[in-house]
Amino acid sequence: MKWIGAVFILFATSWFGFYFAKQLTDRTKQIRAWKLTLQSLEAEIMYSQLPLQDACRRIADQMNGRLREFLLHFSDVLANGAESTKLAWMECLEHYKKNVSLKQKDLEILMQFGETLGMHDKHSQQKQIVLALRHLEREEQEALENHQKYDRMAKTLGVLTGLLLIILLI
Amino acid sequence: MILNYSLIFQIAGIGVLAAIISTVLKKAGQDDFATWTILAAFIVVLVQVILKVGELFDKVKDVFLFH
Repeated sequence: MKWIGAVFILFATSWFGFYFAKQLTDRTKQIRAWKLTLQSLEAEIMYSQLPLQDACRRIADQMNGRLREFLLHFSDVLANGAESTKLAWMECLEHYKKNVSLKQKDLEILMQFGETLGMHDKHSQQKQIVLALRHLEREEQEALENHQKYDRMAKTLGVLTGLLLIILLI
Repeated sequence: MILNYSLIFQIAGIGVLAAIISTVLKKAGQDDFATWTILAAFIVVLVQVILKVGELFDKVKDVFLFH
């Protein structure tokens, strides 16, 4: 009985450590995916000049996971006649952020970007995209640093804390 | 008399694990947390030892009938 409990404790704390490490990895990956999305969006706006909903649908085909869902959702909301692009963006972002590893400040950048979406001509829009990309780049740098710094630590600490707890309780 | 070694092993285990954890934390640049871990482990061990020493004193009292 004792040993079953010990295994449970070890499993739980290890899982927590690995979860934390995965969160760090995922944040970098998601920021990268967002950068790619914004770059594609810039290209679509500048060169193919599609309406925003078609552009989003086209970009969504190249993406996967939550970001793809977000883009499809956004394009659906736009196609169904949203009040404004900004509101549609906010609503979709609200939906999107429930299950992602992005931090609040990353989402803040996206929100600020959303406020400019569809308000300007294409050159100003391009400038806004470049600005958002700069911000995201900075966040990516930070996320990468955190990842390299804390990834191993989180995993090791998870397992070791489990062992420590077991020794303390046995 | 049956000697109970488990406490000694427990303390040794705590010591080893605390040392590893503090090394890991130090490597990640969290020096203050590393210090805190060592301190916490030290306090835990200290409490355990003090409880045992208290038992010893109680036994001494019993032996000499100091009630």
